Amino acid sequence: MPASYAILAEYETPAAVLHAAGKVRDAGYRHWDVFTPFPVHGMDGAMGIRNSKVGWFSFIGGCTGYTTGMLMIWFMNAYDYRIVIGGKPMFSPFAAFPPSYELTILFGAFGALLGMLFLNRLPRLHHPLLKNRRFAMATHDRFFVVIETSDPQYSEIETRQLLESLGSRHIEMVEE
Amino acid sequence: MSTNPHSAGRSGLELSKFRNLPVILIVAGAIGAGLGVAASGKGVTQFAFSWLLAFMFALSLCMGGLFLVIVHHLFDASWSVPTRRLCEHLACLLAPTMLILFLPIAILAKTIYPWMRLTNPDHAVQSKYPLFTTPGYYIASAILFGIWWLYSNRLRYWSLRQDETGSADCTRRMRFFAASGVVLFALTLTLAAILWMKGLMSEWYSTMYGVTYFAASIWVTLPTVYVITLILQRTTVLGNLVKEKTYYMLGSLFLAFTVFWAYVNFSQYFIIWNANMPEETFWYVLREKGTWDVVGKYIIIFGHFFIPFVMLLRIDFKLKLATMLPLAAWAWAMHFVDLEFQIMPAVHPNTILTPGLLSDLGCVLLFTGVLMIVFIRSLNRHPLYPLKDPRIAEAMDVYVPPAAEVSVTPQGAK
Repeated sequence: MPASYAILAEYETPAAVLHAAGKVRDAGYRHWDVFTPFPVHGMDGAMGIRNSKVGWFSFIGGCTGYTTGMLMIWFMNAYDYRIVIGGKPMFSPFAAFPPSYELTILFGAFGALLGMLFLNRLPRLHHPLLKNRRFAMATHDRFFVVIETSDPQYSEIETRQLLESLGSRHIEMVEE
Repeated sequence: MSTNPHSAGRSGLELSKFRNLPVILIVAGAIGAGLGVAASGKGVTQFAFSWLLAFMFALSLCMGGLFLVIVHHLFDASWSVPTRRLCEHLACLLAPTMLILFLPIAILAKTIYPWMRLTNPDHAVQSKYPLFTTPGYYIASAILFGIWWLYSNRLRYWSLRQDETGSADCTRRMRFFAASGVVLFALTLTLAAILWMKGLMSEWYSTMYGVTYFAASIWVTLPTVYVITLILQRTTVLGNLVKEKTYYMLGSLFLAFTVFWAYVNFSQYFIIWNANMPEETFWYVLREKGTWDVVGKYIIIFGHFFIPFVMLLRIDFKLKLATMLPLAAWAWAMHFVDLEFQIMPAVHPNTILTPGLLSDLGCVLLFTGVLMIVFIRSLNRHPLYPLKDPRIAEAMDVYVPPAAEVSVTPQGAK
């Protein structure tokens, strides 16, 4: 028999899963997640999720882009191949700003996208939950709390009891 | 004193410690202005310019209030319900308060605007006929105040009517005034900026000028509304209504307008810099003399844009009193410096650091005091928020079942 990956509990309403998420958070679990067919307002707070770190990736990306743009234009116009245009200075931050700004946006977007993929550990070819038939309902009308067996708090009996006490009608183990 | 049930039992604002603040501001402002004018050695000219600066500063806040009311109705938002009434009061300061405060400018117009003194107007002025003629100036100013009076007044009138009747018709009427008002708002604000501020150097051309004043106005209004809401939340019945989302949205808009302001100002500068035409560049060349250079290149770029931008990037900073209160004060200071940069090189070509600065500050304090008195009186006279706004429950994060559901269930139960 394959090893267990997680315990999966099904709920029928957004309110129930929101309530359950709050209790699972309070119980101190860390390796767990909630899956819903649509965004449930207040879920971040109920799960105790803090602000995403993606912003830092885009911020660093943006700073890199801006610096690259300024340095590139300075290098080309004022150092490597100097041409006087309209009597203006060889390098002016004003003239160099629009391209640098564009690079800020571009690298910022790269930072956000790559940072998101990195933090989500994507792309990956397979995830144990995708094997579970019941789990497909997460895209339809069911709400799931999934607690991984790797969680330090996890115990086969107590975790199941907790999820049951929170109103789940259907609980099953997900295979690795 | 108060006649409405919602402010009854709360004798006005519980800010007894600050009850005398407006009077103190007016007195201190008048003293500062008097000293500044006397020390500047320019007499009436200095007074006229200081008054104009303070007027444009106050106008920013009133127009910002009007804009936020209009935008509330256009977007049918729920987060702005708690701040709507105070924005309506801000907008209503436009007339008659601001109209009365405009009178010194109207009287001293010839001292302020060089084009009015020309005996043989040059081509740059003639091409702006009939706006840049003395009658044109006064007629245009009257029209501006007329439109502002009509729209700010009607928007508040129907809002107050709805407090009593709760009728959906009031919302429809407010939407009518919002939808037609947003176009007139853009036109009148642009005209005001050109007529009263850009007219100081009438030879200059910039199609961005109106929008830069618009961006600056909304930019300074947002933190102001933020702080007023915060004070009202802590002292009045508004506390039950304001949720985090209102502050978050005000903070986000503050960030958006920080960027927008920088964008339009940069665009104006960049286009003029690139085109390199004397009839446009002279305006900036004048502002590179003496300390104006430091003001334009460092204080405004870093103070008006960069510092608020970086601070407002974080979500939590937008929600914390400890960051937003200093930032609001900073925004006022920066808007003041921005207006100095727009207006004062016309009278102090070499430096911002003149005794005139004291009279500018004094006039701004004086205006603040006067507007505060009228504003607080309006707050005390009417309910603090739109009592029967269709989205009031949504604003409070309360779910109210639709009327149909309510009427069906009891019948079924019985």
